[in-house]
Amino acid sequence: MSQTGRRKSVPPPVVALVTWLVPGSGYWLLGQRARALTVGVTIIVLFVLGLLIGGVRVVDPPESYSGNPMRIVFDKPWFVGQILAGPMALATAAVTENSKGPNPWCVLYSSHSRSNEIGTLYTAVAGMLNLLAIINATHRAGQKEEAR
Amino acid sequence: MSGLGLLAEYTYEPFVKAMPVWDGWYVWLLPLCLAIAIVYKSIRCDSMRRVPRQAMALFAFIIVVMILAAGALAALVRILD
Repeated sequence: MSQTGRRKSVPPPVVALVTWLVPGSGYWLLGQRARALTVGVTIIVLFVLGLLIGGVRVVDPPESYSGNPMRIVFDKPWFVGQILAGPMALATAAVTENSKGPNPWCVLYSSHSRSNEIGTLYTAVAGMLNLLAIINATHRAGQKEEAR
Repeated sequence: MSGLGLLAEYTYEPFVKAMPVWDGWYVWLLPLCLAIAIVYKSIRCDSMRRVPRQAMALFAFIIVVMILAAGALAALVRILD
């Protein structure tokens, strides 16, 4: 398995987008497979553990996306961190939204106290670690482009 | 029904209901710290061969600092009381 990375050039914005879509995958595009697997698996496991501890409803999106953006952020600040984990956070938010609606296809229970806090913390930290990975993978992609 | 009775009847359903972590909640901070250490060192280290050792060192450092911070805060609370 490649440790230091083969010479591959991928545009940095593509690396950023791909890393957001699937955590760690930007490193894979750069040929750094060990790093991709370590970062990706750790972030995904952390996010899923958060859902197992606090239930799916720890990913709690804002009621509405219209209006003052600052109010939306202050309304659900943890969601900002969670959404950085990628489409898995968006899918979880969609399930949560559905469970609150009039015709839910599954009944989900809100967690409280420590379970909710730890579940929220896990999912938000997973997203913030993915942000670190996005920034670092994009930076490495930029360095490779400059080296060409 | 007493609180203990309610807890005994609680059935955990993965992803649907919360895991009953009310008592030993602080144990769940360990995997979180380990994940932070692994991802941070995977990002920082040039060679992935150095990651396991460095991640374990960072993990131990985080735990020690958290214990020291908890002790300091507990002492502060006692002094203020």
